[in-house]
Amino acid sequence: MHIPDGFLSLPIAIAAFATTIVFWIISFRKLKNSLDERQVPIMGLLTALFFAAQMINYPILGGTTAHLLGGASLGIILGPYAGCVSMSIILVLQCFLFGDGGITALGANVFNMGVVGVFVPALLILAFNKVTKGRGLFAWIFISAFASDVLSAIFAGVELGFSVPTFHYGLNIAVSAMVINHSVIGVIEGIVTVVLIATLLKLRPDVLSKSPTLKALQFFQASNNVEQWSASS
Amino acid sequence: MKGKEDFVNNLNRKTVAIGLAVAAVFVVVGNLVFSYALETLDVQAERLGVSGESILDAPFPEYTIPGFDNAWGSVLLGIASMLLIFTVTLVVANLLKKKGQDS
Repeated sequence: MHIPDGFLSLPIAIAAFATTIVFWIISFRKLKNSLDERQVPIMGLLTALFFAAQMINYPILGGTTAHLLGGASLGIILGPYAGCVSMSIILVLQCFLFGDGGITALGANVFNMGVVGVFVPALLILAFNKVTKGRGLFAWIFISAFASDVLSAIFAGVELGFSVPTFHYGLNIAVSAMVINHSVIGVIEGIVTVVLIATLLKLRPDVLSKSPTLKALQFFQASNNVEQWSASS
Repeated sequence: MKGKEDFVNNLNRKTVAIGLAVAAVFVVVGNLVFSYALETLDVQAERLGVSGESILDAPFPEYTIPGFDNAWGSVLLGIASMLLIFTVTLVVANLLKKKGQDS
């Protein structure tokens, strides 16, 4: 999903950079002097973990390969603002150290994977929580992670589709090409996100208790749920 | 209270050590087993006849050390990069954490 240099038209690249910078400012302002001490090592660990996980390329449809994005896990466990910062660190270093994603497309790549990929699952979880009153947590985590991957792909497709002078194939081709395969990736991302959060809930529920996203959920506010999970391990 | 803080910090160190070991395993698996990458975007671009270009010459293109064509070299590079990302994130997170808290 890392868009290289030369795929995006200048106006799209600039618009994506401008939008990303707005989200960076919001995220840093929200986190400044508010990040909990116990989130610091977990933020470092999850960022390193998903950078490493992105190196594993597994086969999907038609001979193509895919890798985890990790945006949903970061958004749900760290919260959208810290998740956005974490994913941005991964993408900036991937761009400058390894040439994975173009420098002119960095704003678009951070927007797709670090903003859409992180904020969407965090917001969806909160919306589902309101509607379902905290029931079906893991189903909603799966759906949020799936939606995170597919929406990131849709946004990448839209950016490429609107870059007609450069990509010159239009919106329909660009979006459909991205969405079909990323639906498969979304299923895998959903499963991994559910397994990761369920594992943490069993082994280290205290890690999740600092999550701005999860602690707002009724499931976690009912402390018995967390105690039961950790006690049953 | 102090004992509780030490317990939490030690537990964090243990969790972080295990997590970094798992990340190192991911790097090894990603470089030695599941290293072949052909992403959807690359395939579609090739099919449509669109080619990307790299404006900036990255020091380690395609996650390899130039002139060192060895998968274990890529593993070492991957682990070093993973530790760099861990360190950079810790520095950024420490700058952002609540004042008066030391991790």
